[in-house]
Amino acid sequence: MNIKQKSQMLALLTLTAVSTSAWAVEEGDSAPTFDLPSIYADHPAISTASLEGKTIYVDFWASWCAPCLTSLPLYNDMYHKYKDQGLEIVAINVDNPIEDGLDFLLDTPLDFLIPADPDGEAAELFEVIGMPTSYLIEPNGTVKLVHMGFRSGDIEMIEEAIEDSLGGN
Amino acid sequence: MRQLRTTLLLSICSLMLTSCADVRAWERGYLAREEMAWDPDTLESSLNDHIFFSKEASSGGNSAAGGGCGCN
Repeated sequence: MNIKQKSQMLALLTLTAVSTSAWAVEEGDSAPTFDLPSIYADHPAISTASLEGKTIYVDFWASWCAPCLTSLPLYNDMYHKYKDQGLEIVAINVDNPIEDGLDFLLDTPLDFLIPADPDGEAAELFEVIGMPTSYLIEPNGTVKLVHMGFRSGDIEMIEEAIEDSLGGN
Repeated sequence: MRQLRTTLLLSICSLMLTSCADVRAWERGYLAREEMAWDPDTLESSLNDHIFFSKEASSGGNSAAGGGCGCN
């Protein structure tokens, strides 16, 4: 076996080893479906099936993620602004234990849907790369926007994409 | 025989790569916990940093603030 063959084999084996992780959900992909319990024990479970035909803004957040905590009150305002036009916000909490997330919600009540995903099942389906990551999903199930992180000024860009999506309904 | 040994060695090395499990984005809360910090007492550690960089007239390489004059 010559050096070229050896290096080809090594490259192939390395590729096999690192290709075990799936690709992250990107714009234009079909959004994965999920069915998760609400973070509140007395609220019904939240599934993508029950939100069919709506524009959904899915956000992954945790209490230990500072930008997530900045974005959530702004998302609450955004929810009230667009809910009558058919926007649904689903902020999936990945805290483990979920009590950490509930502690934050005691001080900052939010009016949209908040499922609990302590084992990261939905996060795994979306292959979330960083926190927070949010996905704007159109009524036909296509991901229109993937947004990672949260900085000042991002909300305007997100609202613009939402308006664009709701305008197309 | 030598070829087989090389292939076997490369396969084992490749398998070992898969054991390097990364911490997924949603699991980083574990790293954010207090008990996961390098320094168990942040106040004591910042005081020690301050004393060290004042006495040694050195700065950098740690998170201590200041311009290196040793005067603050």
